[in-house]
Amino acid sequence: MSLSNLIDDWSRYRKGREEGGFHDYEHMWGMSIDLNKCIGCNACSVACYAENNLAVVGKEKFEKGQGMHWLRLERYWDEPDLGEERTTEFQQHGASFLPMMCQQCNAATCEPVCPVAATYHTPDGLNAQVYNRCIGSRYCSNNCPYRLRYFNFWSYYEDSWPAPLQMQLNPDISVRDKGVMEKCTFCVQRIRTVKDTARMEDRKVRDGEVQTACSQTCPTGAIEFGDMLGMYDPETGVAETKVTRMWRKHQVEFGKTKQNKQTPDMRGYRVFEFLNTDPCVMYLDRVREV
Amino acid sequence: MSVLQHLPPGRFIEAAGRGSRQTKHTVQVSFIVMLLMATMALFSANVNADVPNAVPPEGEYSGIHVEQPIEFPHDIHADVNEINCMYCHTYARRSKVAGIPPTSKCMGCHSIIATDKPRIQKLTEYWENKESPKWKKVHDVPDFVHFTHEKHIKRFVIDNEDLQVENVSEVCAFCHGEVKKMTVADKVKPLTMGFCQRCHQANDGPSDCWHCHK
Repeated sequence: MSLSNLIDDWSRYRKGREEGGFHDYEHMWGMSIDLNKCIGCNACSVACYAENNLAVVGKEKFEKGQGMHWLRLERYWDEPDLGEERTTEFQQHGASFLPMMCQQCNAATCEPVCPVAATYHTPDGLNAQVYNRCIGSRYCSNNCPYRLRYFNFWSYYEDSWPAPLQMQLNPDISVRDKGVMEKCTFCVQRIRTVKDTARMEDRKVRDGEVQTACSQTCPTGAIEFGDMLGMYDPETGVAETKVTRMWRKHQVEFGKTKQNKQTPDMRGYRVFEFLNTDPCVMYLDRVREV
Repeated sequence: MSVLQHLPPGRFIEAAGRGSRQTKHTVQVSFIVMLLMATMALFSANVNADVPNAVPPEGEYSGIHVEQPIEFPHDIHADVNEINCMYCHTYARRSKVAGIPPTSKCMGCHSIIATDKPRIQKLTEYWENKESPKWKKVHDVPDFVHFTHEKHIKRFVIDNEDLQVENVSEVCAFCHGEVKKMTVADKVKPLTMGFCQRCHQANDGPSDCWHCHK
């Protein structure tokens, strides 16, 4: 991946959008997260730690903002704190949760600022981070509106996985050393394995064959993951994947900074879509009884 | 026409079984092969005469010699007795790693053959103690590299109509050198990114970073 390739990829997407289409993606991985179903149990985050060899940095470093959680659960209070006398640390009602991972923006703001082209767009529509290339300038992190890139300020492998815990490391993904930026990859090692198998069996990747660690773990099935370009399934005769169906149902479309919805009841939205980052993750708004 | 018609009957049944599902794909494959051959003609200086349709990576490397628990003679097995590489390294066409055969596979022959030789007696000792010789890894790519033997064998052996499966060692030699002339395998190719990339560019392999880097 030379610098000219990177700029080509970048401009190809921009041009494709202006002409009302996408460039020749092989797949385009996307996600749909139903916040109505999310119970804030943090299982997705734990699964991510286990799958992607994420370092546990400890309380002190976490408080300095050096946590390495690729998937974080953001907590909001959508009922006001009435200020009444409480016996608990937090108020009893009104918490809502939002799992936040890399949004795999199509027009990612992190990509053009990297001085060494360590982050680029793959033909799968993923926003890739190549650890070998990264020199740790942290421009990408500063340019990400979601703050979803995490920097290795230290070497964590000795403290985080003391023997024999190194045996639990996933061999399909490298352990990052200090000075390297990292972020959610949509579990690219799982995508790679499934694509390899499909290639060996001379077939296409089936819907639901790739599961990210978070969507596999979610006890309520709030996280759906799949190919946004649709895959024809000969068994059901359906040409669209679960994720595409969700996006269509909630009338969220790519390449828009504001969605035109027939009714305001449609719950789908993308975070910060007015910034024209064109994320691949759609959230379904939480509905509350008043 | 099946891609595997050139396989001798009865050999590599698993590979042939996999191939029978590929017939639909064959037209496309042979088209690509023809296209590649045309490209090869242009760069004929690089073409390896032994394996058609493939431009092997270039480069030599004088690696350190790795001592093995038993000095395994690859030359006697692969050269003198003409045993196919994939007879022992049976996972090469099935998985990411080529694999080292279990001791039971060695004993399959060596419970009868050459039992008077000191190396075989050492092996038999391992076998009777129910232990495996602790073979050392010679061709080790860094941890951040994703490499599958399976796909490379498919591309250069199973999908390659002009290569007899008996001659698979010519394909293995791209990256492992002429192991059949060695006793214990030595690393004689650099196995660096440039080494991989040269072959990927010449043979239309993927050049996306995340295809190989993890």
